[in-house]
Amino acid sequence: MREKVRDLLKSGRVDVFLAYRQVDGHPLPQAFTLDNMEDLEHLVTGPARYPLDKMASRLAKAKPELKIGLLTRECTQRGLNVLATWNQLDPDRIETLGIGCCPSQLHHGADCSHLVPEKVGAHKLEIGIDNRAKPQELDALSQEERFRRWSYEFSKCIKCYGCRNICPVCFCTECSLENQELISGKSLPPEMPIFHLARAAHMAGRCVDCGLCEEACPMDIPLRLLYAQVGRIVDGLFDYQPGADTTLSPFTFLGEQVTLEIKPLEEAQEA
Amino acid sequence: MEYKYVPSICSYCGTGCGVLFEVLDGRLMSTWPLKTHPVNQGKLCIKGWNLHEYITSPMRLTSPLVKEDGRFKKVDWDRALSRAAQGLKDVIQEHGPDSVGVLVSAKMTNEENYLAQKFARAVLGTNNVDHCARL
Repeated sequence: MREKVRDLLKSGRVDVFLAYRQVDGHPLPQAFTLDNMEDLEHLVTGPARYPLDKMASRLAKAKPELKIGLLTRECTQRGLNVLATWNQLDPDRIETLGIGCCPSQLHHGADCSHLVPEKVGAHKLEIGIDNRAKPQELDALSQEERFRRWSYEFSKCIKCYGCRNICPVCFCTECSLENQELISGKSLPPEMPIFHLARAAHMAGRCVDCGLCEEACPMDIPLRLLYAQVGRIVDGLFDYQPGADTTLSPFTFLGEQVTLEIKPLEEAQEA
Repeated sequence: MEYKYVPSICSYCGTGCGVLFEVLDGRLMSTWPLKTHPVNQGKLCIKGWNLHEYITSPMRLTSPLVKEDGRFKKVDWDRALSRAAQGLKDVIQEHGPDSVGVLVSAKMTNEENYLAQKFARAVLGTNNVDHCARL
């Protein structure tokens, strides 16, 4: 890894490479350049995850001339693809070096901070939602039961906006969550359930299931599960998985080409 | 170009969450939670998430202010401190040392809080010391 980064920088293929550096026991994001090559020996790949894709796209906007390299996990790569889909980042200016992640029984030596969500306490299991639950498991509950459980989870929200702030694919300059006409800005917990559902609706066709939002949530709301539910609808209707490649999203309305095209009705109903 | 990440501790309250400042060419771009910090474990509240905004806020006080003729005026530290000392002296002389109190803060360091209570007890002569975290 270190050699590869050194080669990328020396050959001029990238001006800056975003990875992690071990500082006092903490893996921190670090921008490696030709000026700090000696730091490369402290380069680490994990286990902490920061949204390097979001950081790269913001750096690219601030410095349009830079060629940026970055360390990518599979979720980071999906995030980069979505950012390219939405014209937030020019893929030609980006070089990636992938590392193993998303551990499973078939995938040893994986490197990810979001291994398995922590065990959920008895009270939360009783009246809330298990962060480790599969979307299909929720379907088994009645609608009222699901709404009650989700309402409990939403009622814990302290409105830190951390889920939005850390989200690699949240790039809007004006955020609906701060729109006073849409969502009352004065209450805590935020207006329910519109606050969380507005964000969930915006995650449709965008969420790359990296789980950073849930990691950043101080109140342990099962956000990854919430957005996975929305993702299932999009997948069912349009056969679209955000970040799988850089093809246009079905929600791309801008420009002359409308891409919203649903699956044949029978297939959609099955889904 | 200088682009770096600087670890720090949030100074908003006494909890001491780890934060990470994203700095581009000497300017704070954003604040991130320090993922591996034992206190906040990669989470922040809304105040911590927006540290970069208050650090660069034009509303921030950058020099002491003294109220004269009903308006705040910028002054140097010597003048501000002597004015405060005179005010305290006048009150204590007229009403006794227990007529003043000292409020300390979770945003200060332990050492500063120690000095503040020492100042209250040894200099002003009062045990009226309290703290914002003891609500």
